[in-house]
Formats: sequence, structure tokens, C-alpha cells
Amino acid sequence: MSEEDPSGLGRRPLILSAPALLAALLAQARPADAQSAARRATLVIALDFSDTTTLDPGRVAGYSNPLPTRMAYDPLVTMAPGDYITVRPCVATEWSYLPDGKTIRFKLRDDIRFVSGRPLTAEDVRFSFTRLLTMKYQASQYLAHVDHVAAVDDHTVDFVLKDPTQPLVTIIAAPEFGISDKAAVIEHGGTDIDAANKDTATPWLDQNSVGSGAFRLTGWERNQSISLVRNPTYWAGKPGYERVLIRQMSESAAQLLALKRGDVDVAFNLIPEQIATLKDDPNIDVIRVTSLDYLYMAVSETTENPALTKTQARQAIGYAIDYDGIIKELIGGNATRPAAFLPVGVNGSTDALTKEIGYHQDLDRARQLLKEAGLPEGFSFTLNFANQSLAGVAYRDVAVKVQSDLARVGIRAELAPMDMVSMYAAYNAARLQAVLGFWNPPAVENQLWASATVVRVAKRLHWDVPPDFTQLVHDAAAERDLAKAAAMWREYQVRMVGFAHLFVLIQPIYQIAVRKSVSGLKITAAGWMAEVDAARPV
Amino acid sequence: MIRYVSSRLVLAVVMVLLASLVIFLIANSVPGDPVLLQLGDLGASNPVMVAAFRHKWGLDLPLWDRYWIFLDGLFHGDLGNSIASRRPVLADIIDYAPATIELASCAFLLSLVVGLPLGIIAAVRRDSWVDHIARVVSLIGVSAPAFWLAFIMLAIFYGQLDWAPGPGRLDPVAFPPDRVTGLLLIDTVLAGDWDTFHDALAHLVLPSIVLASATLGLITRTTRAAMLEALSQDYVRVARAKGLRRFVVVLGHALPNAMLPVVTLGGLAYANLLSGAVLTETIFSWPGLGRYTFQSAVALDFPAITGMTVVIASVYVLVNLMVDVSYALLDPRVVRR
Repeated sequence: MSEEDPSGLGRRPLILSAPALLAALLAQARPADAQSAARRATLVIALDFSDTTTLDPGRVAGYSNPLPTRMAYDPLVTMAPGDYITVRPCVATEWSYLPDGKTIRFKLRDDIRFVSGRPLTAEDVRFSFTRLLTMKYQASQYLAHVDHVAAVDDHTVDFVLKDPTQPLVTIIAAPEFGISDKAAVIEHGGTDIDAANKDTATPWLDQNSVGSGAFRLTGWERNQSISLVRNPTYWAGKPGYERVLIRQMSESAAQLLALKRGDVDVAFNLIPEQIATLKDDPNIDVIRVTSLDYLYMAVSETTENPALTKTQARQAIGYAIDYDGIIKELIGGNATRPAAFLPVGVNGSTDALTKEIGYHQDLDRARQLLKEAGLPEGFSFTLNFANQSLAGVAYRDVAVKVQSDLARVGIRAELAPMDMVSMYAAYNAARLQAVLGFWNPPAVENQLWASATVVRVAKRLHWDVPPDFTQLVHDAAAERDLAKAAAMWREYQVRMVGFAHLFVLIQPIYQIAVRKSVSGLKITAAGWMAEVDAARPV
Repeated sequence: MIRYVSSRLVLAVVMVLLASLVIFLIANSVPGDPVLLQLGDLGASNPVMVAAFRHKWGLDLPLWDRYWIFLDGLFHGDLGNSIASRRPVLADIIDYAPATIELASCAFLLSLVVGLPLGIIAAVRRDSWVDHIARVVSLIGVSAPAFWLAFIMLAIFYGQLDWAPGPGRLDPVAFPPDRVTGLLLIDTVLAGDWDTFHDALAHLVLPSIVLASATLGLITRTTRAAMLEALSQDYVRVARAKGLRRFVVVLGHALPNAMLPVVTLGGLAYANLLSGAVLTETIFSWPGLGRYTFQSAVALDFPAITGMTVVIASVYVLVNLMVDVSYALLDPRVVRR
């Protein structure tokens, strides 16, 4: 071999220069200084908002879009974080039923202005609700008992109900019932007459907000970010941050890295294992909030499986499941569970009640119930579940745990994983014997949970609901005295436990990681995740 | 040449239509129902709402009528409206495509810039340390899963070393330039905003490396194999015997003849990158076509699924067409045959 380079390509091949080139690029292109003034004045929230399909309050119906909607629009009434029973004033200062028994009159604040500068009036309230009702989208379903909304004077508005026994005030605390600036909506194609077919404001409202909230929506880059700026004239006080940026981050590991590096201030979707790594981090706090969401197992009475038609057999399932083990082992103790279908935290559902009347593992009792059902050797059924997870717990792991618990008393659960869409379609068509499902109502109103059990869920489970039980749900929802209603909801849960159709397994305690450079951020389980107006940079 | 290209163009159109038909049939034979996802639990149990929804989106029409409506729209440049986003599918694709095109192009460029020289040198210096490095790089590139590599890269270069920025196309507080092309590198240059250009460039580095890794491995291996074969040919021996410099022999004589398989593979690899990379886009919070396609599939958003199929099929067909044309340029015998 001669000393001369045989290839003629040089001693320092081109390939070696490539990494050097990249390093030079990176060195030159440093990320912006995270501590810059603009960064400090911006609250950056990492959230998986891939389910967001619109930010038009009339069409908001999802898990993540209530957060920016609540930031930009004020509802008539609200609920304080941690108290999901008492309805508090927001745009409305007071409300009461008129003597006719079917009209609720709201008195409005007179010092609220929209981001346009126009004052918020009763006509804006009437327009917002009428637009939503005639839009006939998801949110309008929850107000099907509202006949019409009428402006009495500039600061008084009446809601006239078709069915006065149905609740209203708790439902309209949800962010989709925020008040829009009528003139601004109309200017961009909105209408309250046959909005389902004639309203064309949604594309504009996806990018701009017309509310009176603490922040104003300035843009939504799909699958990328939602940006809001401070409303400097916010009636409840100047918000602490100039700007709020909600960043799409589907991957919890990426959220964790960005949070630790200080590129984001709040991470909503960390799983328990990742939260555990933050325990000793001097820069990060973890806020725990008991959610109102839960994972449950529904068991059908379908005649396809005669064993499941027997109440004792279903009750045996209830007594065979190791609920404490599921919560302790699968989710690290970061969950609770209600006795029946009303989550802990709403009127009439507490942890104490779960201990008192809820199912707990009692294998002897389960075996005894199987004997009483004429099934001493147990029975088989199919348990369907989707490829989903809740608070980092895969449904598959829950299904496997339930299967092994049931096997101890001779009940054989055959696990049947499905894709989510197909499974819910089959469940909706009442074709499944048992499913693991997720429940997350649009507003904190017991009736939304309870009426579902006796109507929609009952159909899916081939459950012939006793009329007096349906009446109980109706009466409890109609009861306006909270203490009396709580007693009736207790009765509802006692009977639900007896029917043994629905077993709530995990009501997670969500853990939100927040950098200590942020103070005052309030996390809520009421449906809009956080109240950001009081948050400030430290 | 014109006849050669036009015959392939006709074939390309037929291929795109066939692909759209196949995916239309498959998507519509899935047992799921988009109604439940779109109307929610309460809405889906209301027959009036369900009927109105089905009518509005044409889900109550027979399958062939729906396909005919889709074809009719397609010939008028309309891919229909997405059920999930309620916007024209084309508008959605135009929103998401630039992020994917920018990332795919950077990744492809990176794999060419590194893969080609590495493959050539590995062949010229067979069994040398460069060859061994090329083998290891190829092996890692081809065998390491993208999601794993993405996490490792993020954890090391972003989380630990702080050399690279985190997920996303721009820094959280950076203001994107006015949209002209949607390609941030170009739009920032057009706006003369060099700070944001650097920021966008820096954000491209890690996902580009991750996405390039598999392509790079393939290109390196293919280039090496093709070059080894070319270098053993008689014309190379003759060229050397004539006293030509090794540089001229390798790059001037052997390389053009070794390029055919590399061009084929490169074309397919680029089309693959352009059709979106779900995992890389997810981990790097990259708002591209991969995630859009995935979300459309999960939501059974039939118009979006079919529209994306047409786009992806068109990309493949177009890239293959370009590959075919480049064959003709690289080897005139292809046309004569």
C-alpha cells in the first residue's frame, strides 16, 4: 500500500464532517433563553389536547377543550375547586325560581365587559344559550328541558323550563355554557335562528374568542398549540400572566423532560411513575386532585349468558374483586372509588359511604352467593375492554387483575380486547356481556350520572329497571334541598350496589406537576381542569 | 422519453384511484361507528340526532353512492369535509403537510449527506475501520425502533446535555412567522426573522436524526453493496489501468452505475418519510400528517382517511415516477428498452 490515499477522497472523509456540521448548527441555533422576560410572563401548559376539534363554545364537547374555553368565557355560575356541591355566582349574582315554578330568574353583574369593550347584557346571555340550543350539538342535549331563554331587562334573564323537575343551575356551570358577545358572533356569521344549519361562525371562533374571561384566545394551531393573551380589563382582577400557551404534548415522557427543563410550567398528563421521580425535585410541586372521572366494569343481564341474568351471580363478581389491590398495586394508591355510579365528591357520595355500603373483597360471601345462584362451580363470561389507559393504568392490566381475582371463586372472565370505536359501538348496541368503560360527565350534576344508569346504560345491559327506582332518580334530581337530595342519592347508591350491574374500580387522583415558579394555579375536577386567572409568576 | 413519462403518468392515476377504492372499502367495513365518537354518549342514544348526523355526513347513503360522491369531489379538487374537524379535508392536509414535508426533507437530506459518502467509503475501503463504523451505524439505524431512539435522543441531548431544544417546531414563546408556505425554514427567511429561523432549525435536528436513522442505514448498506459490485466490474479495472486517479474512478465511473438501486430505495424512503411518521411526530409533538392520519383512523373519520390515502398514494406514485424518470437519465437503455 502506498502512502498516497488510494481513494483520493482525502484523509478526513466527508462523513466525519457531518456530525461536526450538526453540532455547529445546534451551537448556533440555541433555543431561546427560557428565563427571558417574555418567557416569564407566559404560562406554558403541556397537555394532550388531541381530542380538541373546536373552540367554539357552542360546540365544545370534549375532555381538553373546556380548559381554554373556561379561560376565555365566563359562565353564569361556577363551582370552586374542591367543592362540587355548592354552585357559586360568576356572571350571575343571584338566581331563584319564580312563583310559576318553571322559570329561573338570574340577576347579572353590571360591571362585565367583553374583550371587545362592549358590556355584557342579558341579551348576550339569551343569544348565547339560544344559539347553543338551536345548534343541536352535544351541549344542547343537556338543556333539552329548557323551553326558552328570555332577557327581562339589561341585567335580568329568565330560563323557562319545559320540565321544572330537571336540574339546570349545576349544568350551566360547565364551560360550554359561557357567555359570548352577541354582536361579535353575528359579525362573524353566527346566528341564534336555526344555528345547526345557518351558523358559520365556528371557523372564526376556533381562532378567536368573544367572551369576557380572564384571557382572550388568539390562535389555535391544530395539534400544536392554543394561545391566549391576558384580558387587561377582566372584571375579577388582572390575571397574573400576560400570555398562556397550551402546548400539544401527547407523550408524557416528553412532558416530563420539558417540565424539568423549564420549557413548560405545568404538565397535566404525567403517569404515576413519572410523578414519583419528581418527589425530590426542588423546582417542582405536585398538586393532587381527586377527579370525578372513573373506570368501571359494567355487567350485562343478556340472556346470551344465563348466569349473568342472576343477581347473586353478578353480586358474587362484586365481592370477588380486590378493589384495594387494584388501587394500591395498579395506580400506586392514587385513586379512590365510590360505592356506586356517583363519584366521591358529589352530593351524597363520600369515601365513608363506600366503606359502609360499597363492595369489598369477601371471597366466602362470593362463593356463598354463587351457591345461592345455583352456580357453585362458578361460570364464564366475556369481558371486553379497549386499548386505553386512565391515569397511566392500562385497561388491559385492570382486566387481567379482575380476571385473576374472579378466578379465585371459580368465575372465569375471558378477556376480549377490542379497538375503542368498535367496542363502544358494540356496547352501545347492547351486544357485550361485560365491559370496562370510562365515565366523564360534561357537568357536575348527579342527574347526568344517575339518569344514564337507568336509561342508556340500562338498555346496553339488558336491565329492566324497576319503575320505583327510575322514580327515585327523578325525585332526587328534582329535590332542591341539598341535604334531602343527598339522602336520596344515598338510597340510589344502596340500590345500585344491590343490582350489581356497575362496579367502579378506579376514580383516579390526578397529579398535576407545576413548577415552583408558578403560584396560585388552582386545579379543579369540575371539568375545566384549572383556574388560571389567579396564577402568577413567582 | 415523453411517451415513457406519459405512460407512467396514466398508470399513476389508475394506481391512485385503485388505492382510494381499496381504502374506502376497508374503512367502511370496520365494525365501529363514528356517530358515538362525534355525538357523545347522550347524543348517540338520541335517534333524531343520530339520523340528522348520518344524513348530514352522507352516512345514510349506500356505499357506492358515497364513493361516487367522493370521486366526483376528487375530480373537482375536493376531498370532502372531515367529520372530526368539520373542515375541508384538503384544508386540514394543507395545515399539517408543511410540518411533515419540512421534517421529511431534512431527514432525507441528512440520510443522503451521511449515508451516501459512508456507503461509498465503506465499499472503497472494505473491511477498514470506516467500513466497520458504517456497518454499526447501519445496523443501529435499521434495527433501533424510532420511538426508542427518539426518547434516548431527547433524554440525552435535551434533558441532560441541554444541547438541543425540546419537542415542538418552535420554542414555546417564539412567535411563528406569517404563513406563506407553512415551511418554517422558508417562511422565517422570507420574513427576515433569523432568530426564529435558528430556533426552527434547532428544533428540526433531533427529530430529523431519529427519522433519518432508518433511511440512513438502508442507504448506506445499499450504496455499499452496489458500489462493491460496480468496483469489481471490468470497466473499473480498465479505468484504473488507464491510470485515472482513484477519485475519478470511484465517483466518475463506479458511482453512476451503482446509483440505480440507491435511487429506487431513496425514492421509496422519501415517500415513506413524507407519508408521516406517527411515533416520531407524537414524541416530538410535531403537528404533521402522521398524527393527523392516525387520529382520523382512530375517530373513523372516513373522509379524512380516504383523503389521506389519496394524498399518500399520490406521493408514492409521484416519487416513483420521478425515480422512473431518473432511471432514464441515469441509464438511457431503460427508455430504449
